[in-house]
Amino acid sequence: MSRLYDTVEPAVIDEEMLKKAVEEQGPKEEAGKIAKQEGIDFKDVLSLRLDFLNVLKIDNLWEFTALTKLQLDNNIIEKIEGLDELVNLVWLDLSFNNIEVLDGLDALTKLEDLTLYSNRISTIENMDNLLNLHVLSLGRNNLSELENLRYLRRFKKLKTLNLSDNPFCKQDEYKQYVIAFLSNLDFLDYRLIDQQSREAAIERYQVSRDEMLHNEKQAELKKEEEIKRMKGLELHKAAYVEMMDGPDLFDQMYREDVEGQKLSEMPEKFVAVCSQIFDFGLVEHKKREEEVKQFWECVEEAKQENKEIGMKAIDNFTNMKKKVLQELAQISDQKMLEQRVSEYNKQITELWDHLMGLELQLVDQLEEVIKDFERNMQDLVSSFIENIQAYLTQCRDLENIHHEKMTENSIVILEKAMKNELDDEISEDLRLLLVDKDTIINALSSSHDVHMLKIDNKEDDIVTRINNWLKGMMENIHQDEEIARNRMRVSEVNNMIDHLRDEIDNLEMMQGGNY
Amino acid sequence: MENEEENKPAENGEEPLKEENEEEAAQKEEGEGDEEEPANIEDLTEDALALKAELAKIVVHPPASEPAPMEEFDQSEFSPSYKDNLPKENLVLQYAENFRRQMVQLYRDRKPLFLNPINECGIEKFVCTTIRPTQLEYKELYNWEGAAEFVADYLNIEPLKPEYELPKRLISPTTVLKRQKGNCFEYSTLLCSLLIGAGYDAYVVSGYATKETCLADESRDICPLLKKKEEIKAEEKKKEIKKYNVKPPRDLRSKFELKQEAKRKAEKEAEEEKRRKEEEERIAELEKPPPDPYYGLRIHAWVLVLSGKREVPENFFIEPFTGLSHSVDSANYLGIESVWNNINYWVNMQDCSEGVKGLSYDLGDCTVWEYMFPNNDKPLLRIPEAEDDILDGLDDDEDNEENEVEKYLDMPPSWVDALKLSLRDFQMRCPQGKKTKLYKRAKLEKFAHYLMKDGLVSKLSVFENKELTDLIMTREYFAHRLDKLTQRVTDQRKGLVIENFEPGRPRCLKEHTYRSSAPGPENDRTMLFYHEARVDGLVKRVESPTEMTEEYVNRDDFLYYKHVEYGKRTKKFGPQESSPAKNSRPILKMVQKFHRNRNKAANEDIAELVFHMSEDKIQISYHTEDPRIASSTREYLKPANWDEKGAILTFSSDMHQTFQVDPTEPHKKQVELYQVLLMLLKAEEKCRSDVLDSEQEVRAILDDRVKEETASDLDISVYDTERNEKAKKHRRELERQQLEEKMRKQEMDIDYLAPFLAKIGNPEKLAKAQAFSLKEECLQDLKQRLIDKANLIQARFEKESQALEEKQLWYQKNQVSMGKEDEEQYLTYCKDAIFRIHILDQRLARHKEQAPHKYMQLEQKLRSDERLAEFF
Repeated sequence: MSRLYDTVEPAVIDEEMLKKAVEEQGPKEEAGKIAKQEGIDFKDVLSLRLDFLNVLKIDNLWEFTALTKLQLDNNIIEKIEGLDELVNLVWLDLSFNNIEVLDGLDALTKLEDLTLYSNRISTIENMDNLLNLHVLSLGRNNLSELENLRYLRRFKKLKTLNLSDNPFCKQDEYKQYVIAFLSNLDFLDYRLIDQQSREAAIERYQVSRDEMLHNEKQAELKKEEEIKRMKGLELHKAAYVEMMDGPDLFDQMYREDVEGQKLSEMPEKFVAVCSQIFDFGLVEHKKREEEVKQFWECVEEAKQENKEIGMKAIDNFTNMKKKVLQELAQISDQKMLEQRVSEYNKQITELWDHLMGLELQLVDQLEEVIKDFERNMQDLVSSFIENIQAYLTQCRDLENIHHEKMTENSIVILEKAMKNELDDEISEDLRLLLVDKDTIINALSSSHDVHMLKIDNKEDDIVTRINNWLKGMMENIHQDEEIARNRMRVSEVNNMIDHLRDEIDNLEMMQGGNY
Repeated sequence: MENEEENKPAENGEEPLKEENEEEAAQKEEGEGDEEEPANIEDLTEDALALKAELAKIVVHPPASEPAPMEEFDQSEFSPSYKDNLPKENLVLQYAENFRRQMVQLYRDRKPLFLNPINECGIEKFVCTTIRPTQLEYKELYNWEGAAEFVADYLNIEPLKPEYELPKRLISPTTVLKRQKGNCFEYSTLLCSLLIGAGYDAYVVSGYATKETCLADESRDICPLLKKKEEIKAEEKKKEIKKYNVKPPRDLRSKFELKQEAKRKAEKEAEEEKRRKEEEERIAELEKPPPDPYYGLRIHAWVLVLSGKREVPENFFIEPFTGLSHSVDSANYLGIESVWNNINYWVNMQDCSEGVKGLSYDLGDCTVWEYMFPNNDKPLLRIPEAEDDILDGLDDDEDNEENEVEKYLDMPPSWVDALKLSLRDFQMRCPQGKKTKLYKRAKLEKFAHYLMKDGLVSKLSVFENKELTDLIMTREYFAHRLDKLTQRVTDQRKGLVIENFEPGRPRCLKEHTYRSSAPGPENDRTMLFYHEARVDGLVKRVESPTEMTEEYVNRDDFLYYKHVEYGKRTKKFGPQESSPAKNSRPILKMVQKFHRNRNKAANEDIAELVFHMSEDKIQISYHTEDPRIASSTREYLKPANWDEKGAILTFSSDMHQTFQVDPTEPHKKQVELYQVLLMLLKAEEKCRSDVLDSEQEVRAILDDRVKEETASDLDISVYDTERNEKAKKHRRELERQQLEEKMRKQEMDIDYLAPFLAKIGNPEKLAKAQAFSLKEECLQDLKQRLIDKANLIQARFEKESQALEEKQLWYQKNQVSMGKEDEEQYLTYCKDAIFRIHILDQRLARHKEQAPHKYMQLEQKLRSDERLAEFF
């Protein structure tokens, strides 16, 4: 680095510098004048250039939230920082600086063009979020590891790449390596990649490239599967039957029951009941969704219809207004004018009446529908809960039977143990329990209690969650559909009517002034 | 009066008119019989006399056998099958005669059947053999509609004479095609030949029809081109009843009043309906044809197509004169005598007193259709399979059966030559390529393609009255026009002209409607465009002297509507400006409407933009946000110096007014407002220039149209080898080249050694001596031939000169006694002879010159010939 101005003091990005830059680069001529009078908000600025200013540290840019283009080239910046607020950036120029480590770009997900030409970067890293990158310039840096370039494979949209004047460019295989492994590229080091060299490169790195592609595919498949699984789980959760399609509940029952485990025998029936709950839950969930969807469709339809009538009324009124205003402009007789204006005012009132009537009608209609919907949903939910409870009761019964059998069995075994007729197969843990009747009975009953508790918990969980969901939804509907919507519409209508009245008043005053 | 009455029976001589003439005839008879009466008077009693007198009243006039002079044909152009009958044909004729006799015997009151008319060579031919199933190579003739239309177009009608008698002669379809005219039987036979050739189950029907049908009088029918296509009403989508549909607001109107209103309306409608019906009836009554004295006697022939083959779903008739189909219970046809195809002949045994309604066309049913030949291919009444089983079981019987089948007489092949139709004739369609048809209040003229210079193929004129004098509308159809014009409708009443174009024109014009009185620019017109092909997506442009409206689709800037209002042109004094664009109408107002752009917020997305040019005002209405019903508006006053070039535009807050639907939304900054204003000014400029461009385009289109209309060139396809001169030339050239190539090849292939090799027995390999002698021989031969040729030329030369000398001598001797003519003859002879001698002389010289070369050439060739090469 040979800088002519090494001796110059590093500058700091401060209010003054920013203001100056914004004003210089902002609107010109008349617009500039107006802007100056009014002042420019930093948050409205879309593009900013801060080059050749000897800036050492990126700072104080948090106000420029709308910024899409930022130029910070030809400074002495050493670290990328302070850009986390500029989430709308599309274009970032940091060339001719002293950056050594790639960092601090995580928030800039919309970035498409990134220039880091002539810096001191030695590794490509920490750019995982820049998935929209189209153009990347990393020329004249300290990159020396060709392997490191594989990092760039994650940028599927990357078309233009500049890596010239890096240490690894001296290696013979540099170009072919890049072309082979970054197959989406169109331009490399200022040149179009032609078909011939592309084929040659791919041929050369056939084996390792295939391997890489294979691995990537595997990873992708895995990811997809994971996403699918997560989606399924989400759906099950929404149906309140998550983890019920296997022996999960049963496993849970025994997980926290150390002693039970020693006695465990897997009852198939239990799992069957669980899967019944699972299926039922999914079916019910579908039903509920269908119901909700239908409700919203109807509500939207009603709203749309109402809106259309309203808009028509307004349209008609606007046409009438145009005519009346034209007429008014031509009438010179004061009396006539007054009469006209009062007629017009009457019409405004009529419009208000009409629109308000429409709104009231809609409110009535919606109220009724929402009531219907609430009742139906309540029915659905309660039937769901009942059914779930019935299934879980089956589970409890099973557990009870199981417990009884266990007790019977254990007593028999205990007797056997007393008589020393026991098989050798029984584990050491179990032997410890088979001391006397009380111990074993206690162990069994405690295990039974734990099981029961688990089932009860599950039931409570399901019931409370579904009730909460229903309550939340209904509240939302009341809040949004009934109250908020109504308020908005009423205020809208009033606002418009006020505006219309003001307009005619102003006109009248102006006309009145003429006389 | 007398004369008329006299003539009629002579002409008709048939029963229906007998009674009318009775009295008159009786009077006549009495007058004539006066002398004879006394001779026999004693033998007769009073009664007998009375009877005689009574009988004398009845008189029949034998039909004056004075047939219309039949058209004579040049017999030489027909093939022998036309002029003679095969033994089998004779057999069939006898069979038919026998059949006829039996029919007459059994059903005395039946009209004669159409069985054995003579053909154009005067030979009796059985009608079935006159049908010649032929499939022509034109795809238009593959379907019955096309074939029937072709026959109707291609031929001219010769009505039957008299109209209640079967024709004596049935001309073969080949001759009919050549003459391009024929009667209904010839029409039907030709059409049937085509249809059977195309695979239809078609029959010629001989029977009776109404006068209009027989004379192809369509002046009471509505032109098929004018029949409105039944509009398929899109079924209104019923609103789905959903669970949570909102209830409609309560109807607060009085139910009773509504009912009364509906009642009144219904009454009124009924009255209207009644009136209309009466009117219709009145008109129908007026237009009814006058009663026909020969109703039910007029003989006609048409075509019956039975269902089954070629996916024909049900039986129908084809009227050969018009080419239209009729249902089998059409009121136009009054009765059927017989039907036939190329295989068999059936006589109708059903009652036709109520026309053809309800007749059965099950030709296999011998109770309703009497067949002539037993090899009925309609085994519809077959005894069930039981018989088959028996047949299978008894081989001997089967053999017998087969023999018996052999014994049946089957139809001999048609005597008619295969039908031929040249492409040119086919394309000419009508005789001379033109045909005019009259319909009810309409006239249709048809023209062959490429016949008219402007590409006109048909022209339909619609009139107000039946006399076809008050023109309402003409519709002209064009084909192959270079300017892609397909149809022009001229509405005489409103003075409108509608022109339709095919895609492919520059500027993509699709339809153009204008006033014929004002075809120039800036007048009322509507233009439709093929918007898919236009960059600007223009669909429609409507113009009037003061307004212009344009509609667009699928534009990137969401513009879909543009409306311009013009003011009056200010009168300019001074020199007239040359370009009309400079002196355009002043624009008062421009309106642009946009669709919603979902990428923008509704309050930023302009829905309507109005430039009030005259008031220097710009109004914007924005789109409506989804949950809202009102939309924001904005209004700018243009800065005073807006149209100065390069001036700095000032802006102040009173130049701008706005209404925002959402009062809580922050107001825009002045800078932004100013920028919007700049943008609007630019948009206005662009809009204005677009409008000027549109006007320019209209002018250009109109100019083009005028040019095209005067040129009216026809487009000839490159595949049309007949008409495309260039392609023809090219093909000829190719053919010529090919021929030359062939000749050259042939020349190359002549083996000069072959005869000599043959002489020594075509040895596999030549010995040296043989080779030498071969070469020598070959050369010798050539030499001989060259010398021979020279000798021949010389001989001829000498002969000619000798003849000339003799002639000269003869001339000198007789010079004195010769007339002028002889002298002239002599002079021409001399001239010719000298010319010939001269030519021979030249030829000899040339031969002498070329002979050594030829010799050398052959030697060279022999040297290099691979068979001899090894020795030299």
